[in-house]
Amino acid sequence: MTAQDLKTLWARVARATVSWQFVVPALAAVLAINWMASTSTSTMMTEIMIMALFASSLNLLMSFGHMVSFGHAAYFGLGAYGFTLAVVRGGVPPELALAIGPLAAALGGLVFGALCVRLTQIYFAMLTLACAQITYTVLFQWYDFTGGDTGITGFMIPRFGLSEKGYATAVLAVVTLCLLALWGIVKSPLGLSIRAVGQDRYRAEALGLGARRVQLVAFVIAAFFAGVAGTLYSVLHGAAFPDYAGLGITLDGLIMVVIGGLNSFAGGIWGGIIYELLATFVSKVIHEWELVLGLILLAICLVAPAGFAGVSARLRAMLGGIR
Amino acid sequence: MVLIQLVNGLMEGMTLFLIASGLTLIFGVTRIINFAHGSFYMLGAFLTYELVPLIAPGTLWGFFVAVAASAAAVSALGVLFETTVLRRIYGKDGILQLIVTVALVLIIRDLVRMTWGANSVSVQMPDALMGALVVGDTYFPLFPIAIFAAGLIVVLAMIWVIYFTRAGILLRAGTDDRGMVALLGVNEKLIFTAVFAAGAFLAGLAGGLSAPYGEVNYLLDTTIIVSAFIVCVIGGLGNLYGALAGALVVGVTKAIGVMYFPRLSMVLIFLIMAAVLIARSMGRQGGPAR
Repeated sequence: MTAQDLKTLWARVARATVSWQFVVPALAAVLAINWMASTSTSTMMTEIMIMALFASSLNLLMSFGHMVSFGHAAYFGLGAYGFTLAVVRGGVPPELALAIGPLAAALGGLVFGALCVRLTQIYFAMLTLACAQITYTVLFQWYDFTGGDTGITGFMIPRFGLSEKGYATAVLAVVTLCLLALWGIVKSPLGLSIRAVGQDRYRAEALGLGARRVQLVAFVIAAFFAGVAGTLYSVLHGAAFPDYAGLGITLDGLIMVVIGGLNSFAGGIWGGIIYELLATFVSKVIHEWELVLGLILLAICLVAPAGFAGVSARLRAMLGGIR
Repeated sequence: MVLIQLVNGLMEGMTLFLIASGLTLIFGVTRIINFAHGSFYMLGAFLTYELVPLIAPGTLWGFFVAVAASAAAVSALGVLFETTVLRRIYGKDGILQLIVTVALVLIIRDLVRMTWGANSVSVQMPDALMGALVVGDTYFPLFPIAIFAAGLIVVLAMIWVIYFTRAGILLRAGTDDRGMVALLGVNEKLIFTAVFAAGAFLAGLAGGLSAPYGEVNYLLDTTIIVSAFIVCVIGGLGNLYGALAGALVVGVTKAIGVMYFPRLSMVLIFLIMAAVLIARSMGRQGGPAR
């Protein structure tokens, strides 16, 4: 990537309208809570931010590309393992390995994505699921290399020795940058082509867009950012487990996007926040957390299919009408 | 050894086919992928675990009655779900349809864990099927052979219903063009419910039949649904014979692959799927997705 490329990329990101009057106070609020709250709250906030990024990367595929990936956890896991294995087996210094995690995820996205974008709709969803299960199985069963089901632990000081608060701040910076980049991509010409292919593949092809190529690019981008989330998560706990690539995380991501709101960029972020808060507090009160979650999901699908973002938009419209 | 694994593989392929055919039938008519199909399978297995000791433990007829009763119960649950929830989201965004069935997966899984706990249970095998069939100097376990035969009977019955009865005509018509069927005065809602009931029945049947031959626990739902998806991709969704071929290929590959690459048998199946997809981008025998 040359300086010229970077410049045009930045120009595109800058052109994407960011409502700073909303983003800056939100960032300030997160920082303020982080410095006042206990260390356990800081850790929870870190996890929320990481999952918000993960959900947003999936949201790029689902809301804009209309590609329902049923195996997005694979790239979360590849990010975590890319980082971890580079340190443990490759002897790469951890600071450098931070870059390897997301790149490994992007590479995985390229390989699996090239296969998956040959299919559409439900076939696409099934194949992404199969790819993710393969990743999970390999991580789970290749004891000599990945440590199998016990995962890899104790290879580094968690959070690079930063305090919980310090790491939360660092994650806030990285996640904010990544979300801005994703927003810039959504608003860029590339984002428009992703949307065009998502809405009407044949019309987009008739207009000269290579549908598969556009979808593959979107897939790799989403995998990359999921990999960033996975790497951050791995650093947070100083560990990597096969479950990071498991169906559980995939479903978490899908559920976040649906709770937050389909067809909205903020949906991924809201979903990450709401889901993690619910998971933390509901599971403290009720043991059967999955049951509650299933019922919530049913209610959302039947009553408010646009999720939180849709409900809040409707509320705002109502309030505006009153005023 | 290879032959014995072949028998095991054929049995697994047959149960996979029962599940995948249900998925395929439901998809053909309603255009919904039922992610909870693995959960129906799991419920079938757990209900059989409950019913076998109640009816006539150890006997052959007791086992099959228990399996049929479990499948019927699962089918009733499927009808309940279809009429109360699914019916309200036909024709909506495909993502929502998937998520609704995912919600059902979560609910069933927690209910199963509440009822039967997190540990595996094992189902008593009928005494008559405990032994082995001796051919030359090879001992073939009897149970997988019997289950394969039972599955074969179900397959034949299914083919008979689909191609030689009025219900089958309606099913095929509904798959081809549901709007037209409705215009001709057929209650299409009834077709949807009936297909869902049949699909759930098949999944419950598969769960019950294979229950004694392995561990039954609350994690079965996702392992099974992934295999069933792979079968559907290989066979082509909405294609019954494709599903049969795909299921047998996956079952046998898994069983034989375990002998040579114990840790990577799933990867082997993935490679087969990838090869099929590259050879034909919409699945074996299947046309383009509608």
